[in-house]
Amino acid sequence: MATEMFEPGPSRLPVPAAFVCEVFKALWHIICVFLPRVDKDRSGVISDSELQQALSNGTWTPFNPVTVRSIISMFDRENKGGVNFNEFAGVWKYITDWQNIFRTYDRDNSGFIDKNELKQALTGFGYRLSDQFYGTLIEKFDRQRKGQVAFDDFIQCCIVLQRLTDVFRRYDTDQDGWIQVSYEQYLSMVFNIV
Amino acid sequence: AVAGQDGQISADELQRCLTQSGISGSYQPFSLETCRLMISMLDRDMSCTMGFNEFKDLWQVLNGWRTTFASFDRDQSGTIEGHELQQAITSMGYNLSPQTMNCIMKRYSLNGRIHFDEFVSCCVRLRALTDQFRRRDTTRTGNATFQYDDVSVHS
Repeated sequence: MATEMFEPGPSRLPVPAAFVCEVFKALWHIICVFLPRVDKDRSGVISDSELQQALSNGTWTPFNPVTVRSIISMFDRENKGGVNFNEFAGVWKYITDWQNIFRTYDRDNSGFIDKNELKQALTGFGYRLSDQFYGTLIEKFDRQRKGQVAFDDFIQCCIVLQRLTDVFRRYDTDQDGWIQVSYEQYLSMVFNIV
Repeated sequence: AVAGQDGQISADELQRCLTQSGISGSYQPFSLETCRLMISMLDRDMSCTMGFNEFKDLWQVLNGWRTTFASFDRDQSGTIEGHELQQAITSMGYNLSPQTMNCIMKRYSLNGRIHFDEFVSCCVRLRALTDQFRRRDTTRTGNATFQYDDVSVHS
């Protein structure tokens, strides 16, 4: 099935001036309150496990470690396996953005995004995907086995989808939804996605 | 005893099984994520569970991978370096270009080292992706076509 793909993702959110004040306030809060609590071993770097412990997915299970890794690697400039204070500010904003998106689309306030709500969310981001594909996405990303995605799995789903689209688009030059690749191109492609 | 009535095990049951069996030897037991990957590698009926025969196959393969890893982990640090990962992959029969190797190393190394659990994850995915590619490239041209949906399922 051919799918048209548009530019999705929270990086497209607008940044009004009032927001800058909010960020300043937030950074102060981070320095004085939040960071010391998150950086448990006082190393000055927040590791995967420290961030994982600081985040909640709305259930009593630990935050998806794969999502944690994806987020940290997005902001970890020095490939040190964690984020310093400056980078953490970016992480925190990123997660807050996702919380807002999640709340927007979790229309019934269940704390989970079901297939229909996922459809609304991804369509809102600009994706045009088949109904069957949404079923596949839930199947793949729903770690709680509820047929719906929790906050952490929702983020991971969107991250992977965005990577997939970017990578696929590079190969799909005629934009017909099909690509022809060699074995090694295929490997590199998939290892770049997840 | 672990499987229950249906004779199938899920990812967390597999994790329990493998941890109790001590197959990872002195290395850290497998993460739930790696166990999930192992199940999907062998999961023909898309049930997200594994039966006994598949488990037996997995067992053999895991032993082999652990032996390979241990042979490179000479200082027994529980990790191997990037170039050792490259040698390990080549020793398993994969003939990959430096670019693809770099991509794999980037994906699996943390601070330049690869932990055992990640090594196994890498091997599982290499095997699964190679199978998937072969199934598409029936005439052995070295090229195969995929559509958007397929790539996401395989990822």
